[in-house]
Amino acid sequence: MAALPKRIIKETERLVSDPVPGITATPSEDNLRYFHVTIEGPSASPYAGGLFKLELYLPDDYPMCAPKVRFLTKIYHPNIDKLGRICLDVLKDNWSPALQIRTILLSIQALLAAPNPDDPLANDVAEDWKKDEQAAIKMAQEWTAKYASTSSQ
Amino acid sequence: MGNIPAKETRSRGASYSSGSSTSYSDTFGSRSGRRNTTSGVFSGHFIESKRSRRQEEKDKQRERHYNNLIVRLEESIDGGFLAPYGTYKSNLDYDTDIVRRLIIQRKLAPFFTPLQDFNESWSDEELLIILSQSTLHTIETAYSEAEEEEDDIDNHKIHKSQSYFRRQEQKAKLKSLITRVKEKQKEEENRFLEEKVKAKEGQPCSPYLFSKDLFLKLYRNASECPICFLSYPPYLNVSRCCLQPICTECFVQIKRLDPHPPHDDTSQQEGNSSSTPGSNANSLPHTLISEPAHCPYCAMPDFGVTYDPPSDIRVGIEGIKPSEYHLSHKKRQSIDKPQIKSSHSSSNSHLTGLHANSESGSEEALQEHDTGKGTEAVSKDLYQPVKQSKRRSSLASDAVGVITIDMIRPDWEQKLISARNKLARKAATASAIHASNLIIDQNSTLDARANNARSSVQNSYNTNLHSIEERMIEEALRLSLLDEEERKKKAEQEKNKSPSS
Ligand SMILES: [Zn+2]
Ligand SMILES: [Zn+2]
Repeated sequence: MAALPKRIIKETERLVSDPVPGITATPSEDNLRYFHVTIEGPSASPYAGGLFKLELYLPDDYPMCAPKVRFLTKIYHPNIDKLGRICLDVLKDNWSPALQIRTILLSIQALLAAPNPDDPLANDVAEDWKKDEQAAIKMAQEWTAKYASTSSQ
Repeated sequence: MGNIPAKETRSRGASYSSGSSTSYSDTFGSRSGRRNTTSGVFSGHFIESKRSRRQEEKDKQRERHYNNLIVRLEESIDGGFLAPYGTYKSNLDYDTDIVRRLIIQRKLAPFFTPLQDFNESWSDEELLIILSQSTLHTIETAYSEAEEEEDDIDNHKIHKSQSYFRRQEQKAKLKSLITRVKEKQKEEENRFLEEKVKAKEGQPCSPYLFSKDLFLKLYRNASECPICFLSYPPYLNVSRCCLQPICTECFVQIKRLDPHPPHDDTSQQEGNSSSTPGSNANSLPHTLISEPAHCPYCAMPDFGVTYDPPSDIRVGIEGIKPSEYHLSHKKRQSIDKPQIKSSHSSSNSHLTGLHANSESGSEEALQEHDTGKGTEAVSKDLYQPVKQSKRRSSLASDAVGVITIDMIRPDWEQKLISARNKLARKAATASAIHASNLIIDQNSTLDARANNARSSVQNSYNTNLHSIEERMIEEALRLSLLDEEERKKKAEQEKNKSPSS
C-alpha cells in the first residue's frame, strides 16, 4: 500500500490536537484512510441527545475528490436514506479540495440541525416531513431515542 | 440537489462504494474503458487504417506527455522544476506542453520540491541537511495505472469483442510506456545523486545543483500550500478571485467535472432509472453540459491564478546557473529573521512570503551598489510595487496574467463532444434494442409511451429485425464519422490558438 499523503497525516494529527466539539473521528488501525466517526445530535434538533456513528473513507484521489461518508446509526432524516447515505452538496459536486474532514463533519452536523425536505434523498421521509412536520419531528425523536441514545450503545 | 449520480465520476476510488452513483457507473459504463458495442459490428479497411493512423498520433502524444512528467535537474527555473514532484499519482492529464511553457515564461510558479515538514526554529544547517536529502521526484511509485486498471466488462464474457483486444493492447502499451518513463526518472535521480556526492567531496560537479544560498533563499520562509499541506518556497501562485496561495502541483490537479446533464433534468432522470434500465439514454445527448472549474477557496467559477515571480531570483533556464546563486552577508541575515510571525492560516503565511520577498528584494538591489547610501530610500522604493500587487483586487478570468484551468486543460471541449456522441450512440442502441423487443412481442402489450426512442427507430416498428440491425450500423457509422470530423475541426482550431496570451 502506498504511503499516506502528508495532507491526510496532518489532518489526522490536527483532528486529535484540536478536536471539533461534539464530533470525533478516529482512524482505523489497519487502514488510516478509514475513520470511525461519531456526531452528537445538535441541541434544539430532533436528534438532540443522540450519538450517531458514521464511517468516513478517504479515496485515493482525496483531496481532489470528496470523502465518502455514511451514517451507520439508523436515523430518520429527509436527506439521509435507509442505507445511511447523505445528500449533501459538498459531498458531491460542490466538494472542494480546500475543504477537510473537519469541515465536512461540521456540515453534516449542520444538516442534522436543519433538515431540508425540499432536496430529499429519502423521499418517503421527506414526504412525511412536508405533510406533517410535527409528526415527522416526533418520529425523528423516537428514532433517536431508540437507535442513537448513548445508553443503548 | 439530489443524489446525482453522473457527477460523482471524479471519485475513482473504486474500493469503497457508498452512493447510488456506483451502481450508475456500473450499469451504464460511464468509464473510459468501455465502448459502444456497435463499433465492433463493422470493420472495413477504410475504418481500420484510419483508426491506426489516429492511434499512432495518439501514441506519440502520450509518449510526449509522459516524458514531460520527468523531473530533470537541468530543467529548473528560479529554484523549481518543469514537472511535478509526484505528490499526486493520478489526474496528471493536464497539457504538459502548455504548463512547461507557462512556467518558463514565469506566468505560473515552477514545480518546487515540497518539504514534508517545516519548522521555523530549524537552523540554516538543519534546513540545509533536510534539503540536501531531497530527491527530484517522489521515490514512491509514480504515475499510477489505476485509471487504466479498471475491470473490463469483457473480462467476464466468453466471447470477447474486437474492441476488447484493442483495449488490452492499449493497456499493455501504456504499461510499457510508464515503465520506461519510471526508468528514465530513476536515471535522472541517480545522476542527481552522483552529482551531489561529487559536490560533497569537493570535486567538479553539475552547475545545476542548487547553491546553499539558493536553498536558503527559497526555503528559509517556507509556507504551506492550503491544499496539499506541504511546505514550499513562499513564491506560490495566487487565486485570481480571493488571493489565496496554491502550489502548481495542486493547481494542475483542478479540473472541470465530467460532462453531466443539467441540474434540472436529474430529478426526473433519477426517477426513471429505477424503473427502466438504460433510461439514461432518455436524457438528450446535446443537453449534456460542462462547467468551468470553480475556485477551491471561494467557489468563484472559472478558476484562475496569477504568479508574481520573485524579482531577485533569476536562475536556471534563462538565468544564471543555480549553483552560482549567492547572497551577500547582509541579505542572508534578512532572510534569517522572519518578517512576520507565520501562522497556520493560509492567507497569513502567504503574506509572510510576499513580505519576505519584497524585503529581500530590496536588499538584493542594495548589494549591487552598496555604497553606504541610505538603506531606507532604496528599500522603500522597491517596497511599493510589491505592496501594490499584494493589494490587487480580484481579477477577471480573462485579465492579463491570469492562467485558468481551461488554459492548461484545453481538451474539455473535446471531452464534452465525445460524451455527447457516446450518449447519442447509446441512445440509438438502446432504442434499437427496445424497438426489436417490441417487434418480438408485437402481439402482446405494446406500451408505446415507454419508448422514448428516436423517431427514425420508432418508424421501424413494422420492419423486421434485419433492417434494424442495418440501421444500427448506419447510425454507428454516421456518428463515428461525425466524431472524426469534429475531432479534426477541433485539432485545427487548437493549432491556430496559442494558449498563452
Ligand atoms: Zn499544494
Ligand atoms: Zn477564490
